Amino acid sequence: MTCSPSALKDYFFGELNAEERELVERHTQSCAACRDELSALDATRSAVLCLREEEPPRRIAFVSDKVFEPRWWQKLLVFGPKLGFASAAMLSAAILFHSLHTPSVIQAPVPVARIDQQAIEAEIAKRVQVAVASAVADNEARTAEKLLQVMNARLAKSDARYEVDLKTMVEYFNRMEKRSDGIRRAAYDGASQ
Amino acid sequence: MIFREVEDRDLIIQARRDKVEAYNLLVSRWEKRIFNYLLRLVKNREDALDLAQDVFLKAYQNLRKLEDPSRFAPWLYRIAHNEAYSMLRKNRPETDLEDAQHEPWLEPGPTRRMLPIEVSLAVERALTRLTNEQREAVVLKIYQGFKFEEMSDILGCPVSTVKSRLYTALDLLKDTLSSAEMRGKQ
Repeated sequence: MTCSPSALKDYFFGELNAEERELVERHTQSCAACRDELSALDATRSAVLCLREEEPPRRIAFVSDKVFEPRWWQKLLVFGPKLGFASAAMLSAAILFHSLHTPSVIQAPVPVARIDQQAIEAEIAKRVQVAVASAVADNEARTAEKLLQVMNARLAKSDARYEVDLKTMVEYFNRMEKRSDGIRRAAYDGASQ
Repeated sequence: MIFREVEDRDLIIQARRDKVEAYNLLVSRWEKRIFNYLLRLVKNREDALDLAQDVFLKAYQNLRKLEDPSRFAPWLYRIAHNEAYSMLRKNRPETDLEDAQHEPWLEPGPTRRMLPIEVSLAVERALTRLTNEQREAVVLKIYQGFKFEEMSDILGCPVSTVKSRLYTALDLLKDTLSSAEMRGKQ
């Protein structure tokens, strides 16, 4: 084997198979230049590895951290269709219940021939309208209440966070003030001596 | 390394089943290495940290696309490589300026042996003299210990290109560092 800088580097990085490795090893035993090159490569790698890995200045945020949680309005958007479906289901149930439990009009002791069909239909329409209005109002009230709760909870959380931040800042300033007092005093003492 | 791979694979499988804690553990394991890899590329701590954050978020969002969980490391570094180069392309003027900056340690100085901190500084400076591609090849091979095949996957280029970048970089580093050492010993 003749001198091959590329094969020597492949050998140095352990990227050769057993046969190739043996060839290079046999060659370096008889070639001083390649032995020197290998030791120079080793010294370079050692120098490069002197540069230590650094700790990240802050921890990487986890995907489960609060910062990645959907905001309150995003949660509402997610729940919106579900609430809509629930409202529609309630409304259907209310209409069905009404239609089954409003026999008084039908069972009224009046001859069938004298039933005013238009009046019955008007009455049903009126009652359905009332039931719909009531269900919608209930739903809106519940949504508003939930919104209020979420907003209050968030406000309370952010207030608590600001309070902690403020306390930390005050402590920091107090510490800095004490330290500068100390320095000033030391400077004054030094000057007076 | 083998045990670590097995555990990583297990964590990836769990994370794919929406077990967020498993992914958090993966982040804890890899954040320092990814941060340092990005730091060597973009040369700014805040940028490296922001990029690392993006890398882990993207990796989480695309975890199901990783075909072979045992190849998590090269796959993660590939994302990091893409993120870093996307930023480097945007900030090219500043990067080039920094590359061309003054190298005081290369000039003739007092004749004495180099201190360990001076060696570190010399290496840091020598690394900044390399092109981004050469420096990345050095970081992946010497600091991160990847095989050429894995580096080829991460960098998206043939093994021959990877070797060419690495070996040119090594020759440059060797010459620069040995000349600095010689000056120190005079």
